[in-house]
Amino acid sequence: MNSTSISRIRTLAAHEYRAAVRSRILLTLLGILAVATIASVYVASVAHRSQVADYRAYKDAASASGLDRIAPSNLAPMSLLRGAFEYLQIIGAVIAVSLGYLTVQRERTNRTLPLLRSRPVTAGEQATGGLLGAAALLATIVAITAITGVICIGVIGNDWVTPSELLQLALAYLVSIVYMTGFYALGVFCSVRSRHAVNGLIAALCVLVLFVLVTPQIGDTLDADNQIPGGLFKALGMNRADETTILNHFNVYETLRTRIEWISFSQHYQRFVFAMADVKERYRPLGLGGLMTKVWTDLAWVFAAPAALIALQRRAVRTQPTMQEGATS
Amino acid sequence: MIGVIARQQLLACRRQNLAPVTVVVLGGFAVLAGILGWASHHTIIGIYDESVKLVTDRGQTAPPNPFLLKPTLSMLSNEMIYITVIGALVAIVVGHLAIASDATNGIGRLVFSRPIRRRDYTFGKLAATGTILGAGVAVSYLVSVAALTVVDRFPTGGDLVRLAGFYLFAWLYLMLFAVIGAVALLLLRRRSLGLLAAIGVWLTLTFALPQFTSGLRPSQSLNPIVDPVPINQTLFRITSHVRPYSIAEQFKEAAGRILATATPEPAADTWLRIAPIVVAFALLAALTWNLITRHDYSRSNPE
Repeated sequence: MNSTSISRIRTLAAHEYRAAVRSRILLTLLGILAVATIASVYVASVAHRSQVADYRAYKDAASASGLDRIAPSNLAPMSLLRGAFEYLQIIGAVIAVSLGYLTVQRERTNRTLPLLRSRPVTAGEQATGGLLGAAALLATIVAITAITGVICIGVIGNDWVTPSELLQLALAYLVSIVYMTGFYALGVFCSVRSRHAVNGLIAALCVLVLFVLVTPQIGDTLDADNQIPGGLFKALGMNRADETTILNHFNVYETLRTRIEWISFSQHYQRFVFAMADVKERYRPLGLGGLMTKVWTDLAWVFAAPAALIALQRRAVRTQPTMQEGATS
Repeated sequence: MIGVIARQQLLACRRQNLAPVTVVVLGGFAVLAGILGWASHHTIIGIYDESVKLVTDRGQTAPPNPFLLKPTLSMLSNEMIYITVIGALVAIVVGHLAIASDATNGIGRLVFSRPIRRRDYTFGKLAATGTILGAGVAVSYLVSVAALTVVDRFPTGGDLVRLAGFYLFAWLYLMLFAVIGAVALLLLRRRSLGLLAAIGVWLTLTFALPQFTSGLRPSQSLNPIVDPVPINQTLFRITSHVRPYSIAEQFKEAAGRILATATPEPAADTWLRIAPIVVAFALLAALTWNLITRHDYSRSNPE
């Protein structure tokens, strides 16, 4: 790749970014995500604030009475971002798919593709430029929601994250950009492959719903104990030991249930960011190195799936016809 | 004239493959809900048999059949989640396109060169949208009946009526999102912004509002069986007043009562849950009419 090619890619990326910003899309998307993030962190922070106050009162009382060994707080301020990460997982994916659709739709409506192809720009450069522009846009969105979330924890929850926690969060947000970029590629791929881009949008949304909402939910839905309000085993009068004995007869079913959950890269994304944000108590004592050994397979999935989607997007952009015959929308 | 407009819209949707896609998507998710129901049914039966063996070996009394504890139509609990998630999204696209295609490809300009009243045009569009979504919902109904028959037995008359009531309610809910898609475009004019704004409304109603009013995280909003969330904070004492207008929550609550899968409540309370959805649809349909009346079809909608 020579410097002229890099320059063209940069120009295309800047165009992609500017086009979205000019059409006020960025502000709309940011508004939705920021409000949802503030709502979720606020709800969690209000409860956290009273827990922090309780702990501080306990610590002061213990110090005043001469105790020199005071139990450390088990509160994890980063875990207040659980809802915010769930919003990125769902809303972020929808935003990314919509951006992918709008990129294709914009080119078709404005008929800019024949013009672009008349210039010395390869399809590969076009795909890379669009992808980088979208990634920059998504990085802006993620950065703003991240700053919003961290400030909310400090201001509302009265607990500021430490530098090492900040590093974990930065990693989680970096992975969020990769995750959303994968969905952008999906939006472009489906829209380009559809004669009517909007059908591609529906197809992409279906894939999104399947992998972001349905497959992870299937795990919960198929959990035998969740079939009866209050719990099936409780309704049958079974204790924990009985439950384990009975479930041993359903190994295939249980394996299938967890494997269905496992095929969703969105679920792997969730596991990774939850581990980084201390949502799961079992991961809280671990440092970054320890965490990475626990969740490296999830990280591999989060990188592998977007890589595959980006490959599909590049192939679709390369092979798309310059003129869409008979397409209207 | 309403019929002509509706037929033209249906033809356009068929040519764009939007109508078959809508029906296949709605029907497909009904199939998925049926498969999940079938899988969980077999597991419960298996677990019950194993538990009977276990307690019989111990010389204890066998526990009651869990299906006596599980409402008949609870097998379709996931369907109400899919309606609020994928169904509403598809409805937004259908409503968006009902307005967008005429404004973009010049058909609107051609239509209003004839003596056609905007009221007839609006009702024609609504009728076509209702027909497409109605077809999807009707297919889902048949799939659900088939799923219940395969898993258990052919539903009783009462269950068929409950199921029909649920899908009629689901159709109304989808129509609400279709008019949201139409209104967003008519208000904002730009197609991309209109579509994204409608998706934003969907995200807000489905995920953000339940968090504010009931403390439900997004993943909890997706689960048909949710453990109660402690909502004794001052915030929730204030926001709970908005809960009757959190229509995604009210849809799930009312659907649970219609299918008899949720804790029973007086019929009047269920009607109060349905009312905001009916009112919202009526208001937005009237707003659609008003906006179409004022819309300048001599201009194309920009991207």
